[in-house]
Parts: sequence; C-alpha cells; structure tokens
Amino acid sequence: MHYRTRRTLQMPASADRTQPAATAAPSPPAIAREPESALRGLARRVGVIFGVPAAIVIILVILPSVLSPLPLLDVQSAVGLALFACATNLLVGYGGLVSFGQGAFYGTGAYVIALAWLHLHMSFWISFICAPFAGAAMAVAIGLVALRTRRLYFALLTLAFSQLVFVIAQQQVSFTGGANGVFGPMLPSFLINPDNAYYFTLGVAVLALLALYKITRSPFGMTLKAIRENPERAEALGVNVFRQQLLAFVFAGALCALAGGLFVVYDQSANPNLLSWTESGYPIFMAVIGGQFSFLGPALGALIYEQSRDVVLAQFSDSQLVFGLLLLLIVLAAPDGVLGRLTRGFALLARRWRAARPGRPGGPGPESAPRDAAHETAESER
Amino acid sequence: MTAGALLQISGLTRQFGGFAAVQDVDVSVWPATIHSVIGPNGAGKTTFFRLLTGILRPSRGTVTFDGHDITGARPHVISRRGLAQSFQITNVFPRLTALESVQIAILARRRRSLDFASLHQRRVTAEASGLLKEVGLHQVADAQAQTLSHGDQRILEVTLALATSPRLLLLDEPTAGMSPFETERMVSLVTRLAKEHGLTVLLSEHDMDVVFGISDEITVLHRGRVVTHGPPEQVEADKDVIEVYLGGEE
Amino acid sequence: MSHYLITLLSAMTEASSLFVAAAGLTLVFGAMRIINIAHGSFYMYGAFLVTTVAGGVIGGERFWLALLIAPLAVAVLGIITELTVLRRVYRSEHLVQLVATYALFLIFGDVALRLWGSQARSVAAPSPLGGSIAIGSGQFPVYDIFAMGVAVLIGLGLWVLLQHTALGWRIRGAVEDREMLASSGTNVALLSTAVFAIGAFLAGLAGAISAPLQSTAPGLDASIIVAAFIVAVIGGLGSVAGAAIGAIVIGLFNTAGVLWAPNWEPAFIYLAMIIVLAVRPWGLLGTPER
Repeated sequence: MHYRTRRTLQMPASADRTQPAATAAPSPPAIAREPESALRGLARRVGVIFGVPAAIVIILVILPSVLSPLPLLDVQSAVGLALFACATNLLVGYGGLVSFGQGAFYGTGAYVIALAWLHLHMSFWISFICAPFAGAAMAVAIGLVALRTRRLYFALLTLAFSQLVFVIAQQQVSFTGGANGVFGPMLPSFLINPDNAYYFTLGVAVLALLALYKITRSPFGMTLKAIRENPERAEALGVNVFRQQLLAFVFAGALCALAGGLFVVYDQSANPNLLSWTESGYPIFMAVIGGQFSFLGPALGALIYEQSRDVVLAQFSDSQLVFGLLLLLIVLAAPDGVLGRLTRGFALLARRWRAARPGRPGGPGPESAPRDAAHETAESER
Repeated sequence: MTAGALLQISGLTRQFGGFAAVQDVDVSVWPATIHSVIGPNGAGKTTFFRLLTGILRPSRGTVTFDGHDITGARPHVISRRGLAQSFQITNVFPRLTALESVQIAILARRRRSLDFASLHQRRVTAEASGLLKEVGLHQVADAQAQTLSHGDQRILEVTLALATSPRLLLLDEPTAGMSPFETERMVSLVTRLAKEHGLTVLLSEHDMDVVFGISDEITVLHRGRVVTHGPPEQVEADKDVIEVYLGGEE
Repeated sequence: MSHYLITLLSAMTEASSLFVAAAGLTLVFGAMRIINIAHGSFYMYGAFLVTTVAGGVIGGERFWLALLIAPLAVAVLGIITELTVLRRVYRSEHLVQLVATYALFLIFGDVALRLWGSQARSVAAPSPLGGSIAIGSGQFPVYDIFAMGVAVLIGLGLWVLLQHTALGWRIRGAVEDREMLASSGTNVALLSTAVFAIGAFLAGLAGAISAPLQSTAPGLDASIIVAAFIVAVIGGLGSVAGAAIGAIVIGLFNTAGVLWAPNWEPAFIYLAMIIVLAVRPWGLLGTPER
C-alpha cells in the first residue's frame, strides 16, 4: 500500500502544527543510506535533544561574569518566570487544562517562606524545601473540586480559587501582612550575594525543568496528551482521567510554588498580588506567545515578555496600548507561538535543504544542523 | 440463562421519558464468533451499544460478560474487563501519531498510564509497532491521526480497541463511509481477528453484503425490540425481517 | 422590615446590571464559542459615552439621547472588531482567541484612558427618574427601579428574539450545532457578526444604564468582565435564562456579604461560583457538552 504524503498538507488551519520532518518528506526510497553505527546514532540523538538547551544553559552560566548586577537580576527574574510558565504549561499545553489560578500556588510558595521567617523564624533552606509541598497540598484541595469541570468552567473555577486565596491574604492582616505583604531580610547571607542568588535560581530552575521534561516524555505525559485530545476516548480505553489530571495538577502546583520560592530569592518579599488572577494570566500568555505545544516554548515566551515589557515601559508612555498591539500581532501572526512558527520555519528549511541534495548518503551532519532541541522536542510533542 | 455465552444480555431496556429506545432485548454472543446486529435507522442499535459500554445506564435488564455482571458499570471498568469498543464516529486522538495512540492504549491496559519514568517504553513501543504492522498501518505510524485517510482512521480506531487486548470487540458501523476498497480491508481484518485470534466480535452494520458475508449469527432489531436472531441463512429467509426492512425506513 | 425589603431591592438592582452585561457575553459564547474579554471594555465604553453625552447637564434630557447613542456606537465598535480581528482567530485554539480578546481589552482600555482621562466620572439620573420613593420607613431610588425595569424588558426582548424570530432560531441553532447550521444554508459569517453586534450592544446598554448608578472610572472594564463571566458561568454558558438566574444569585450573595461580613465582600462572588460549580459542574442551566 502506497500512502501519498501530500496528505500532510491538507490539514485544517486550526490544527496546522509542525509536521515531523521525518514524515513530511517521503522516506528516500531510491537513495541508499549508509547504516548509522549505533554510537553515532546515540551521539546524534543526544546532541540534537540537548544541543540548544545545553548551549543556553552554558550561556546563562557565563552571564554573571559578563553582565552587571542589574541586568543580571532581570535574567534571574526571567529564569524564575520561565519555570513558572513551563510548569503551568504542563496543564495548559500538555493537558489542555487552562488554569487561571496558578498564581495561588506561586504566591503560596512565596508566602510559605515569608511567613515561616516572620512567625517561626525558620531557616530559609527548610522553608524553601517546604514550599513545593505546600503547593502540592493546595493543589490537591483545589484540584479535587475544580477537575470535575471542564474547559471554561475549569478556567473560571481555578480563577475563583486563586481570588479567594488572594482575598484571604489581604484580609488576614495580622497573619499575612495584608495588602502590603511581608518583606524583610529573610534570605540567608549566602544568597545576599547576587551571583550566588543567580546561580541558586539557575540551578533550581534547571533541575526542576529537567524533571518536568522527563515527566512529559513518560507514559504519564503521553497519556495526559491523549486526554487533552479526546478525554472520552481515553476513558474508554481504561484511563482514569480524573486521577491523571489530578496528578498533573498537583505536580504543576508544586513546581509553581517552587517558582514562588525563587521569587522570594529575587525580591525578598511576598505580597497578595502574586496570588491574583492577573498574575495567573502571565504564565498563560507566556505559553501562548512562546508556543504551548513545545516544552521550552513558555520559557521563550517568558523571555520575550520580560524583555518587551522593559523596552515598552522605557520607550512608550502608552505602554498598555503598545503591549496590547504587540500581543495581538503575535497571536494573529503566530497562533502556535513564536517557537511554533520558528520550528515550522526550520522544518521548511530542512525539507528544502534535503531536497536540494539528492544522492547524498544519509546519516548525521548537515541534515540535522537546522534542527535545534526545542524543534526536536516540538516535533514529537503533539 | 445460556451457559457458555461470552456476553449475555437479558431483558435490556432503556427508557427516555415515555419512549423506550431499547426494550426487553435478549442477546447471547458466543466466544470466537462474529455476531451482527442489524435493523433500520432508529431501531435502537446505537443506544444498545451505549448500554453495553457503560455510556448509558439501562432502565432494566442485565448485562453479563464472562460471568461478571457489568450492568451499568462505568466505561473504563468495562474496558478493563475485556470488552472494548470502536466508535461509530471516528474517535481518535487528532494530534497524536498513530504509534503514540496505540502506545497510550497499551499503557492503559498495562496500568502504566501513571508511570513517571519510561522504563518499559521499549517493550510498549515494540508491541505498538507490531500491532500497527498487523493491521497494515505501520507505514503511517508517525503521521498525526487527523491527517490519515478516513479508512485508515477507522482502522486506527479498531486498533486502539484491539490494543487493550479485549476478549470481545464492539464495532459500531465499522464500514460507514468507506469505499469498497477500504471496506474490503476492514472486513478481512475483522474476519482475521475472529478466526485466527479467537476474538469475539459484536458489530452493528448497514452494509448487508458485509453482514451476511461474515456473520456467524445475526440479531435483528426493530423499534427497540428483537425481531429475530439466528444464523444468516435463517434470518435471510425470515418473513418478519423482510417486512421490517421493506416497511421501515432505511 | 422595610430595611430588608430595600436591601433586597438593592440586590435586584445589582442583579439587573449584571444580567444585561452577562446576557451578551453568554449569547456570544453560546453561538460563537468565543470568550470575549473585551466585552468588559464595551461595557465601560457604554458608560463613558453616556457621561460624555449627558454628563454635567442637570435635568438630563440628554440622558435619553445618550441611552440611544451609546449602545449603538458600541455595537458599531463590536462589528468593526469582529470583522477585523475575530474573523482571523475563529479557527484557532480557544486559548489563542482568549489572548486575542485580552489584547483587545488592553488596547481598548488604553484608548479609553486617552479619550476620557483617568478621573472618575459620574452622571445624574434624568429628572423624571431622579427622586426616590418611600418604602415603609426607608427610601429607594426611582432610577434603580427603572434599571430593573430595563433589565426585565431586555430579558423579555431576548426571549422573544430567541424563541420567535428567524434570527433567534438561527442563533439557537448555532448554539446547538454550528456545523449543522452551516450545512443548512445559513450564512454563518453574517450570523456571527450579527450575534457579536448584539452582544456588544447589550454590553454598551448595560454600561449606559449603570452610568447613573456608579462612578465610571478606568478599571471598570476589569471588574465587570470578571463579574459578568462568573454570572454567565453560574447560569450555564450559552443560556440567557441561566444568566438571569446567575445574576440574581450573585446579587443576593453580594448583598448578603456586605451585610454580614463586609470585610470579605470581594470574596463572595468567587465563593458563590465555587459552590454552584461544585454541585453542578456545568452551571445551573448549562449542558455538559460545553
């Protein structure tokens, strides 16, 4: 049976995702390919998957020696936000669960550390470890109720929960410091040094993102995607949809709380606004801008958001207007996010490159050059 | 109560207000057979299937599968018991590849859906590839399900149900909307599954050539009730059946 | 006794405002599956337009003029929005549509700042409606009763529209099954524009009616959109009757909240939604497919 691959170009516009380059072009029938040695194959896979992110990490590690403290602080903030956005994307992009309440966990993470310092004089290191657990516990409570709903109802219910926590934080002035929040020297002396704080943030974020990545590639992650695509079908196959989504919700909550802990490292404070729905909106926008169907898309979105916000604030008095216009532009021009558009661009390039080189034996080399790891992860990510 | 039947349905009834979509239906499905359910539009075939798979709860009656009472049980419980369904409206995972889709089904069967680490992935992938090869979809294994042809999607549909290693496969109009070529593919797949692998198949169909060509037993429904049942030759000659199809809408 | 009655009536006034705002939102979502955050902007524009046309003029004959102009102007804005922006995102993910309307929300908000400044504005009720009537030992503003009356009229009008007109049938058909509607020969694109225009009109009207009841200031768009969404969701998305019930529920909840626990007043609307959705995950009159 011969399957014509032209079929791949007839996808409906709304589902116009990047096609894996491997199936976008027919597997070369007439050209002989030299068999790859196992070692070369492994090296290529590792290189491709870890190539670009590794390069990014290396650059980030070198930065403190290049940048002055103030811009470095911006990068530190962006790294923390990248974790927040990627954790949220486990729900939004992978799970199809648009939660407008992740701020509840973000803020809880920050408050756990701040309040433990304020009331219990607890060591930062201990309360930092506790933060993700607090986030997970809260996620269990909220998830048990919220996950019984779907789609917009779910989005608004999570919004309601996070607003509820927000109001509580504002009201309980004696406990939480009210609208002003908590601020003070809650960081250990080690983290007062800006370089240390930076490396700590980077280290925690990278480790957390690695764990998150492994999870998205695991059976758990795959099943989560299936539920996103067709929850009834998944259930009919024997998947316990509620349990799967609850676990994803808990894990995302824990990581968002961890990101909240990193906020404390950045700002030495906790305030109610971290809990509000406007804060919850940020990681969602970052995911959409950067690309919700790739792993690092939201991180890119976080970077774009941070940088453009600074530029717009500095250059324009009508920052809100400009920001709105930019957002609209990105969303209309790149519905798959920036990364989605980039990976499609790369796939197109790769196809043209390959088409222009007939007769060349296969194997690693220039073919895989246009790809980057984010592209690789995006391909198999649908 | 007929001993030895894999699926025993007794007095199954489902009311919607005053209207009975399915009424006092008795069906026995024997192991390793192909059993077809036919009837004009509105006869209650789809409701009947929904009652079997747990999407609808019966108003009265019992469904016994492999000795276990599954009346009114939830879909994923019924699936775990070994009764798998392929849907009438093609119901796949649009943006997952064919291979991923089958992997999901196998993982669910093996209770590995919640695994955070991919320790057994290689085995699961191998099994998924094997299954795709068996049904003839291995060449499109890496294509997104929504990009497949209608016939391929229906076959993928059936494959998903197969991946749960069922003892009984429920097929709701498997050849709907298919070209003769695709119908042929589906028919040979279904017969192969029943004859070579001992799978029991319960299907509803409109295509009479298919029904009379491959069935071991046929049940005829009309207005929610069983008109008659038996082997094809017997049903073909039955006067009531002819009346049902000539008199009713088709 | 009259104290409670007046409190109840205040709740109903608030419910009236919320109903008209939410009705447009739920209609648009039901027929077009679009989550329009800029609906709050439309509401605010309706209110600001009234303050511009009728503000500062005592006696308020111009109020009636404003009440006519404002919703129509907002409806025109809605049509322009639908044609230029929304058409491009119909086939995108719901999340992308949400971000697009949020971007519009930001843009409209900023333009409003430039047009009307950052100061709060108010407008007096027109003179025939300016006083208050006695209820038992208390007083209740006549205008509030007018507002309630308008809401009831809108509700009835929508009911008539949806149940007894061709346009209404088509809208209900779109709510049920868009694809089926398209294949039956209806111009879905035109219908979408019409529905969106109606939604914007209702938002503008809600804002216009509310102008004498509250001060109009930047930030009104954000507060009303959250409230309108919650009302629409509680009632069940796509159901105008649900929006009415939801508005009453929220009106009562909020008023009760102000009476018994004024500190926690901002939380009540969220608590109400959590309770309703915990019991009925699809809203009071919503259907599970959504």
